[in-house]
Amino acid sequence: MPEEPDIELSFRGGRLVSALPIALFIAWAIFQSGFLGIGDTTGLVTGMLTGLIVGMLFVRGDWKDYADVIFAGMTRRVAATAVVAWLWAGMFAETIQVGGFVDGLVWAATVLNVGPGLFPAATFLLAALLATGIGTGYGTAIAFTSLVFPAGLLLGANPVLLFGAILSGAVFGDNLAPVSDTTIVSAVTQDADIGGVVASRVKYAVVAAAFAIVAYLIAGFGIPGLWSGMPHANVTGQVSASVSPWGLVHLLDIAVVIVLAIRGRHIIEAVSWGLIAAALFNIMLGAAGLVDVSAGSMILFSAPQNGFTQMVDTLPIIGAVVETVPGAQAGVGGSIYSGAVGFFPLIVLTLLLVAGAEVMRAGGGFDAIQELIIDTIATTVRRAETTMVLGTALVNATVTINTAAEIAIAPYVATLGKRFNINGYRRANILDANTSALGYIFPWGGGLLAGFGAMQGLVGGEATPWFTQEMLVNPASVFPYVFHGWFLVSVFLVAAWTGYGREYVSDRTSEEVSRV
Amino acid sequence: MSRLDKLLAGWTFRTATPEFEADEVITAFVSERNGSGLSIRVGDSTIRVADGKDAAVEDKVRLKVTSFDTDSHVGTGELVEVLGPEG
Repeated sequence: MPEEPDIELSFRGGRLVSALPIALFIAWAIFQSGFLGIGDTTGLVTGMLTGLIVGMLFVRGDWKDYADVIFAGMTRRVAATAVVAWLWAGMFAETIQVGGFVDGLVWAATVLNVGPGLFPAATFLLAALLATGIGTGYGTAIAFTSLVFPAGLLLGANPVLLFGAILSGAVFGDNLAPVSDTTIVSAVTQDADIGGVVASRVKYAVVAAAFAIVAYLIAGFGIPGLWSGMPHANVTGQVSASVSPWGLVHLLDIAVVIVLAIRGRHIIEAVSWGLIAAALFNIMLGAAGLVDVSAGSMILFSAPQNGFTQMVDTLPIIGAVVETVPGAQAGVGGSIYSGAVGFFPLIVLTLLLVAGAEVMRAGGGFDAIQELIIDTIATTVRRAETTMVLGTALVNATVTINTAAEIAIAPYVATLGKRFNINGYRRANILDANTSALGYIFPWGGGLLAGFGAMQGLVGGEATPWFTQEMLVNPASVFPYVFHGWFLVSVFLVAAWTGYGREYVSDRTSEEVSRV
Repeated sequence: MSRLDKLLAGWTFRTATPEFEADEVITAFVSERNGSGLSIRVGDSTIRVADGKDAAVEDKVRLKVTSFDTDSHVGTGELVEVLGPEG
């Protein structure tokens, strides 16, 4: 890639000190979200900024090089991919939400008699389906937390279990989708074709998913749904009066996104068409009086009251998205606005995190770890594969944005795997499965935070006026319930030891990288 | 290879010590270089090539197996072609 910079950094105290910015950030994240229970993403941004400043003090030589490395990291394509996915998925999810999609799901769940016990397992399957279609686990975590999570709560499902099921679905899709950025990274870095990589990983994904479904069924019926204080009765009464199936027409625009994504269209294109369809449906549903939605629900200019704005407010078409308010309340709103704005803190955090990973690369922290692994730990093929699984897990625990973590660990997996002639497909599968899984398990993982961010958006949201601050699931409490993620890691640990699915370079050579 | 073949490949428990026949030609990456010789590890089996020519570690090569001991999982081979790191 042309963006690969050649700058090398030297740190006081050795190469491992280059991991200091990320290490400080992790300590900050554990303290903030784990100990204090504060899920504020902007707080994590502060942690990463602090880490990057402290790291600079340990650099030998010109500090300008350190600054250049930060710039090189922030302009990497992986960061831009995440930013684009969030902005587009956020606008889409929010627009479906104001179009009554949650009501439609509640209605469908009631009609199909999906009770609180069955709901987490059904959610896992639906989220897995969506994520496999759109190829973004983050987008799925956001969309399902915005749309299906409140529906599940209303039915009385356990909130922590439900959030775990959503994240599990995201893991499944991130791992298996041909259009997923992690799938693409895994194939390209291990010299294997994407179609072959996807086909060869089905054997691991289905085994883990089968265990996960059983686990969600057992947990769904075994763990009580509501913690004390949730006004279940009131909530149910409030919604059952207004619940309408019409929001389910948005399944069509979700289908548009999935079909376009499967046909290999870019995520920007696929989601844009879905968004356009959703907006048109909303206008039609609103005009027909079937759902309480209008153009102003999607984009709304709240202008300070004066003669001119009052005139604009009365105009045809433009007037539909303009209202006049007292000066202090002026601003822009609507689903397209709030869907995108909700991700601003996470976008900044991602850019800084990728910069932190770049510092570690330039400072030799990654190399130091690689040498240690090859010389002392990975001495047999079983130990090499186990090291690849655990190493990928460890890097995902530190880098937190899973695509960035995957890019960081990919060269190790390639080097270690080639030393034992492990087939490119197998290497790509070990790399991607554990990247996908761990990115949604740790409380500071990007995928989990993406979902949590969406959950925060429910507090006082237009579609969920009943959702209060106390109903937020603590990000540190969900990790045991991301069943598919845990089973996927377990499947690979067992596979490393038993040889399940193992193929050597001499057995089958992977095809051209550029083919899908 | 068809999509279906790709889907059905590898649903087995593969040994850590694969075996090779004499005269078999395989493709593999060079694991180690010692002097002018090469070691090619396929899992925990090793094939030694006495004259490694200019092949480097991590180069992909085609080699002909000349002998293989199924007890020690060590064999010998000779280089057919060096495909290089991208091969």
